[in-house]
Amino acid sequence: MALPTHHARVRLRNIIIVVKPALLWGGPAMAHVSEQGFVLLLPTGAYITAGVAVVAMTVIALFAMPQAVVTGLFSARALTPRDFGKWPVITSLLSFCVMFFGIYIGIYGSRDPLSNLMPLGFWTIGWIALVSLSAVFGNLWTWINPWTGLYRLLNLKEPPMRLPDRIGLWPATATLVCFAAFLLADPAPDDPTRLAQLVAGYWGVTFVGLILFGPRWCHSAELGHALFASFASLTAIRLQHPAGIGGPGWQIAQAPPRPAAGLFALTLLGVGSFDGLNETFWWLGQIGVNPLEFPGRSAIIGVTLMGLITSILGLMAIFALTIWVGMALAGAKTPFAQAYGWLALCVLPIALVYHVAHYLTAFMVGIQYTIAALSDPFATGADFLGIQPFRVTTGFFNRIDTVRLIWITQAGLVVVGHVWSVLLAHRVAITLFGDHRRAVIATLPLSVFMIGYTFLGLWLLAAPKGA
Amino acid sequence: MTKALKTTRRTLLKGAGAGGLLAASPLLGRFASAQSAAPIKIGFQQHSTGIGAAYGRWYGRTTEAALKMINDAGGINGRPVEIIAEDDGTDPKRGAEVVEKFSNQHGCDVAYGTLFSHVVIGSAPAAGEQKIPYFVVSEGHHVASGALNRYTLQPGITDVKSQVQAMAPYVSENLGKKVTMIFPDFAFGHDHRDFFTAAIEAQGGEVLEHIAVPPSETSFTKYFPKIPRETEVLYHVMVGPAVLTFVKELGEFFGPSSPAIFGFIDSLEAVDLASPGLEFLEGTYFWEGNPRYAQADQTEYDKAYRAAVGVDENGASVSDPSDVSTYAHMFGCWETLHIIKAGMEAADYQGPDDRQKLIEAVEAMTDMPESMEHPQGPKLFNGKTHQVFGVQYISRVENGRLVKVHTTSIDDTLYPDEVDYTTQSF
Repeated sequence: MALPTHHARVRLRNIIIVVKPALLWGGPAMAHVSEQGFVLLLPTGAYITAGVAVVAMTVIALFAMPQAVVTGLFSARALTPRDFGKWPVITSLLSFCVMFFGIYIGIYGSRDPLSNLMPLGFWTIGWIALVSLSAVFGNLWTWINPWTGLYRLLNLKEPPMRLPDRIGLWPATATLVCFAAFLLADPAPDDPTRLAQLVAGYWGVTFVGLILFGPRWCHSAELGHALFASFASLTAIRLQHPAGIGGPGWQIAQAPPRPAAGLFALTLLGVGSFDGLNETFWWLGQIGVNPLEFPGRSAIIGVTLMGLITSILGLMAIFALTIWVGMALAGAKTPFAQAYGWLALCVLPIALVYHVAHYLTAFMVGIQYTIAALSDPFATGADFLGIQPFRVTTGFFNRIDTVRLIWITQAGLVVVGHVWSVLLAHRVAITLFGDHRRAVIATLPLSVFMIGYTFLGLWLLAAPKGA
Repeated sequence: MTKALKTTRRTLLKGAGAGGLLAASPLLGRFASAQSAAPIKIGFQQHSTGIGAAYGRWYGRTTEAALKMINDAGGINGRPVEIIAEDDGTDPKRGAEVVEKFSNQHGCDVAYGTLFSHVVIGSAPAAGEQKIPYFVVSEGHHVASGALNRYTLQPGITDVKSQVQAMAPYVSENLGKKVTMIFPDFAFGHDHRDFFTAAIEAQGGEVLEHIAVPPSETSFTKYFPKIPRETEVLYHVMVGPAVLTFVKELGEFFGPSSPAIFGFIDSLEAVDLASPGLEFLEGTYFWEGNPRYAQADQTEYDKAYRAAVGVDENGASVSDPSDVSTYAHMFGCWETLHIIKAGMEAADYQGPDDRQKLIEAVEAMTDMPESMEHPQGPKLFNGKTHQVFGVQYISRVENGRLVKVHTTSIDDTLYPDEVDYTTQSF
C-alpha cells in the first residue's frame, strides 16, 4: 500500500496540531473497548498462521492433483433454462414502489439514520445482505432492480442509441469507484435525506440510460447489475440462460469474460480491502491520525480517496505482475489481456468473503435497527410488528466466547474464499494455457499472491482499529 | 400516538410528521393548559455512527426515557416535548452542520446531547452564530475553561478537571501518597496528568513518574519496568481497544503483589468487569461518574431511573445482561433534559425569541438537590462558568462488581472560575 503524498500528510498533520491544543478532552475518549478489545486477547497469531497454511497447502496440493480433479471441481451439467414470464416485471415494479417509499422516508422520515428505513434498507439490507446472498441465490437484481419492470411496461421499440460491445463493464467499474468513494470517504453516507436524493438521482440517470440505450445500458453501466451478476457467477445453480449446475465458480470457468469484467472484480476486491485497511491503527498511523482520537471523516476525505484509488490501482498492478511473471515462467503464448481479464475474475470468491466477513458485525447490529424501523417506519411510535419493548443490543461484542465465534467465522470465510480462488484460478489457467503442468507454473506467482492476500485478510480482521 | 409514550426507543418523537400527529392526539388534553400546543423541539446531536456510536446508543436510550417522563408529567410549560435526533457521525464538522440544521431547518428551540469533546468544540461556534442554546453532555473541561461561548452550557454532567481533582484526597489518605501515572500520550491523558499531579501535590503527595504511552501501542509490557519500586499507587487511564490487553499484562507483570491501583472507568465503560483478563482488577479502585452496579444504599431515584432506561442492577440492559451500558456518563442526558425543562419553566419559555431568557434562567440556577431529576446525586451549578459540579464516586472491584467505597463532597470538586460567560453579550 503506497503512502499518501507528502503534501497531504503535512496538511493533515497541521489540522491535527491545530485541533489538539484546543482539545481539552474530558469525555470518554474512545469508542468503547468491546469487540476489538476481545479480538486483541484472542490468539489471532496462531489462527492467522493456520489459515495461511491451509491456503499454502492447497497451492502445494495443486502440484500433485490430477487435472481431472480440478476440472471436475468446476464441471457443470446443462439445465433447461427457466422462463419466469412476467414475474420479474412484477417484482421489479414492486421494488420500484419500495424504493419510492424509501426515498419518501429518507426525506420526510426520522433524521436518525438508525431509525430510518432509507439508510437501513440501502446499506444493511441492500449493500450488505442482498449483495452477499446473490452468491447463494443467484442474480437477485434481475428481480428486484427498480427499472426493468417500468421499462417493460413502457413497451418501447428499439432504443435510439447503441452502446458498443467493447465497452463491456468499463462504465460500471467507474461507477463502482464512485460508489466506493461515497461509502468510504463521504462524511455522511448514512444521512437519510442525502442518501434518498442520491438514490433518486441515480434512478433517474439510469432510467434515462435505459431509454436511450436499452437494457444494454444496465448490463454495462448500472452498478447493481454488475455487482449482483459478478457474485451470482459464483453460484452452483443458474436457472437463466445459459442454465446449469456445477461446482461453484463453473460459470466463470466456462466462458471468457466480457471486457473489463476482470477489472471490475479487482476493483471490488480493492474496495473491500481498503474498507478494512482504512480503519486500522496502521493506516491511521500512515496518515498521521491518532488512532485514539479519530478526528471524524470530514478531516480525512482527501487521504481516504487517495488510499482508495491507490489500493485499487496497486492491486491491479500487482495482479498484472503476477500474471506476467507466471506466463513468462510457463512460456505461455496466450494473449496477456485475455489471461489477465479471465484470471482476475477468479478473485471474486475473495471479494465475496471479504464483503461478508467485513460486514458481518455491522449486519448483526444493523438488522436489529432495521426490524425496529420496519415496526415503526415513520418514527411516530408505532409498533406494526408488535415487537415492543424492542431494545437493540450489542452484548455479543462484550463476551469473549461470542467474539471468538464471530472472529473465527470471519476468518474461516476468508480462508475458504482464498482456497476457492486458488482452485478456480487453476481451473481457468488450464483452459488458458492448455495443460495442467503449465497451468500450475503459470499461476504459481498468482498463488503466492493469494497466500499473501490470505495473510492480509486475516491480519485486517485481527488488527486494532481506531476509526 | 398513544404508543409513542411507551418505554421504548420509539418514544423519540422524530420526523416532520410527529408534531402534527401529536396535535391530533387524544392526549392533547394533558397539554391543554399551554398557550400553544405545538411541541417544544429539542435537537439531539447524537453520535449514531462513528467512533462514538456505542455511547450514542445509550445516550439515545436515556434521552428517550427522560422524554417519556417529562411528557408523562405534562411536558414543558404545558407543551409536549419532541426530540429531533440528528447523527453527527462523531465528526466535528458535521456536528456544526447539525447544530445549524436544528436552528434553520428543524425549528428547534435548543440543541442538546453532544458527548465527544472534539464535536462539542467544533459545534459550539455554530451554536453561538445561530444563537441557539447548546446543552452539552461531554464531561470536557472546554466549557468551564472559557474556550466556548455564552450559548454553550454543561449543566448535567461534571467536567474532567473537577472529577480528577476530587480523587486526590481519597487516594492520598487511603491508598498512598507516592503515585505513578500511566496514561495515553495525547490530550486526554495529558489532562489527567496535569489535573491529578497538581491535585495530589496539594494533598501533600507526589507523582514519582509520568509514563506516557503512545496511542498506537497495543502491548504494554515494556512500560511496566519504568514503574518505580516505591510506588504506592498506580493511576491508569488507558483507553481504546488495547485496554483489556493492558490490564491483562499489568496483572501478569505484578502477580499477586501490586501497589494500589486506581483508574477511571472511562477505560472500561460498557465492558463487563467479569470479562476474561480482567480478573486482575479485583481489589482495584475506579472513579465512577455514577455507580454502575446498584449499591446497598441505592436511592429510590437511582432505582426508578434504572427502570425507566431499562438497565438492571448490574448496569446492563434488562433485555440482554451482556449489553453493559455507559452508566457512568449517560445520566447526564437525563439530568440535562430536566434542567432544560426547569430552565424553560423558570423563563416561561414560549419560543425561540425566549432563548436568551432561557440561558439567563439556567445561569441563575445553583443548588440541584438529589431527586428524580438528578438521580446521580446533588449538584451545584456555576452560572458564570456554565459548568455543573457534583459528587463523584470511588468504587472498588469486589467479586467482579464495583462496590462504592467513597462519595466525594461537592467541595472536593470545586476550583476557581476560569471564565465568566455572563459578561459576554448575547
